[in-house]
Amino acid sequence: MRTSVITTVSGTLAVVLGAYIFSHTASAQQTSPAAEPRLKQVVPPLYNPYPPGILPADLRPEIARVRREVQGIFLQALDQWRALPPPTVTGQPPTLQGTGYDEVRVLGKLMNYDENMSPFRNRACAFCHMPYAGFSGPIPSVNLTMVAYPGSEEFRAGKRTAQRYTYSPRFPVLDYHISDGLFVGGNFWDGRATGYLLQSADAEQSQHPPVDTQEHALPDTACIALRLSQSVYRPLFEQVWGPTSLAIKFPFNSEGICGTPGGAVVLGPSATPIPLTPADRTKANEAYNHWAQSISFFESSPEVSPFTSKVDFAIAGTPTQSPQELAGVTLFRGKGNCNSCHLDGQSTLLKPGQADTGTYAANARPLFTCFGYSNLGLPLNPRDAIFYQSTPDPFGFTANSFGFGYRDLGLGTFLRSGPGSAPNPNSAWTQFAPRMDGRQQVSTVRNVGMTPPQCPTTEAGQVDANGKPIPYFQKEFFHNGYIKSLKQLVHFYNTRDMFAYPVTSGHCPAGKTEKVDCWPMPEVSNNMDMTIGNLGLTDQEENLLVLAMQDLTDGYNPANPTVSTYPNINTFTGACMTGGSASTQGNEVLIPTPPLPPCAQGICDVAPLPSPNPIL
Amino acid sequence: MNKLLLKLALTATVGSLLSSNPTFSQVLPPAEKAARVEITQGPALELAHDDLAIIRWTTNNPGGSDDHFGVVHYGTDPKNLSESANSQIRLNRAHPETIFRVRVSGLKPRTTYYYRVTSTESNGKSDGVESPVNQFSTPGSGERIVAFPKRD
Repeated sequence: MRTSVITTVSGTLAVVLGAYIFSHTASAQQTSPAAEPRLKQVVPPLYNPYPPGILPADLRPEIARVRREVQGIFLQALDQWRALPPPTVTGQPPTLQGTGYDEVRVLGKLMNYDENMSPFRNRACAFCHMPYAGFSGPIPSVNLTMVAYPGSEEFRAGKRTAQRYTYSPRFPVLDYHISDGLFVGGNFWDGRATGYLLQSADAEQSQHPPVDTQEHALPDTACIALRLSQSVYRPLFEQVWGPTSLAIKFPFNSEGICGTPGGAVVLGPSATPIPLTPADRTKANEAYNHWAQSISFFESSPEVSPFTSKVDFAIAGTPTQSPQELAGVTLFRGKGNCNSCHLDGQSTLLKPGQADTGTYAANARPLFTCFGYSNLGLPLNPRDAIFYQSTPDPFGFTANSFGFGYRDLGLGTFLRSGPGSAPNPNSAWTQFAPRMDGRQQVSTVRNVGMTPPQCPTTEAGQVDANGKPIPYFQKEFFHNGYIKSLKQLVHFYNTRDMFAYPVTSGHCPAGKTEKVDCWPMPEVSNNMDMTIGNLGLTDQEENLLVLAMQDLTDGYNPANPTVSTYPNINTFTGACMTGGSASTQGNEVLIPTPPLPPCAQGICDVAPLPSPNPIL
Repeated sequence: MNKLLLKLALTATVGSLLSSNPTFSQVLPPAEKAARVEITQGPALELAHDDLAIIRWTTNNPGGSDDHFGVVHYGTDPKNLSESANSQIRLNRAHPETIFRVRVSGLKPRTTYYYRVTSTESNGKSDGVESPVNQFSTPGSGERIVAFPKRD
């Protein structure tokens, strides 16, 4: 059976992909570690199930632009590796004395920017997570429109926004707190990177995209070991993780399999289409764990998570916040109630004369999250690319057979091991799914406002002291990217219920402006968080809260506040945007939501059933 | 040196670094429960559509689990509040007061409803507070009532 599958793979690839020229040996053990194998890059067959106007017009040049930026930082990382002093392993237990931290960090960085970690060698992790965006989505037009980023097989795409890397290693292993009735920790919007095996949610997070069918789309985790064994930085991997850590005998057809995107019909249903011996499979699994740990170490390093925001300097005794910014902080802790979930390590002076009784243990480095999950009641975003991928791509793979019957139940779907998520490794948690439907991870506020220096804000319509327009960088916020500016974000918290209308996006009543005085109904109404929705903030108070959030951008330098110290913040080579207003930012690309079918049975009719069900 | 031992040692060393995380301490145990929970404002209608109402009230901070639920028992007969709705809110441990807001859906337009409110911890344990019976009326189809914040 296995042989026939591989034969089919080879034959089909020859037809579908054309000549794929190998100049390396089949066995990784025989591959020279000194140079990249000379592989001709294959142009993936196009998949475009989208109606006109869903994909941004500049998508191809923007993909090329980000890839150039990724390749540039990869070369930078190679130089950093080569500049490291010779390693010395000593002590008991053996330790890379002096250089261990740097070696693991640089190794993780190389991996993060390595485009070879995808079937068509065109997607690195960083493609969706660039430094100048706080390690979130780097393409303004994608952030404005299709929400999810196109994967190695263009234009498959996921369903949610790219979460920021910053401080993600500091999220604990997912756990259910019996006393609180809460899930805490994990990585991803839906918490599916639990961290249960590696005891690091962030490390396990980095194991999902490489084999996510709509992202890197490698068909087998062993493909990472194969590509690592071919990489120019293989000696560094072996230095850190052991000289035989990549000594795996890969069958001849392995490169052909790894050059086929996951989900391809020719690969069959197996999660491990590369036929390795049990011993080599174990080694490949270990290499994949080491991939995860190395990347997580990079993400925890000061190159990604440096604690250098204006707020951090204030905590450390160098307060530089303006009176307006401090007023925003007061609102964050008080009337805005933001720190009920986005814990700031401080107490709240809600009323004059009230004593600060804060006792948080992590006062010194608050992470501005509770690591929890909440359903904020965001409207369904009809521009989300996932809704349109209901037909097979050239490899026979269909990302979302439900079409607009798809609903994002977030943590609830993960607890049911549902479609588009991952297997839940703890069956005792499944019973809690109905209470978690619609809940998505509470992100850290840190770096929500980070942008490239040449586009120094996320907000449209800003002007400098001389009245000159300030160019902005278009980001997207929350799990489905419905919100396009921080002003809108705060306004949503403030007025979600005040301006609620029983319509879907694109159908606000005449005379009402969506996101200003009309909020469409939630995609998932179950378990809605009622802490927010009618905060009674004024327009000016909303603006002050935006200032407070922007103060959490890393790279602040009190000695030279106009120049960011954040590593690689200057790598953006695209164009900024101008004009418009933060309140209506992105409204020009709103489209009417089509009539929605009920939530698909494959999502909402899975036990334990949502309550209430059907989800309205 | 035994290569396997070296690899295992390096794995253990780096692995422990990666999983050691002082900020885990930010995950706090439940707050101390308030000795007595009292409603200090409301309950009252915050806003209403023809089929939906939001009821709002304020208590002193009840403490206990961070997730709390406001509960509204309601019906069209003040002596038979047979329906109930509950909504989750998150306590702010540093706030002396807590605002509860509950969505009551599936209502009929131009109808008077009677209700009383209570609140619970996330495990269903009552905060030990209950309001007297109050009432609100839904507007007609397509209309809305906004009672908070008050408009001039």
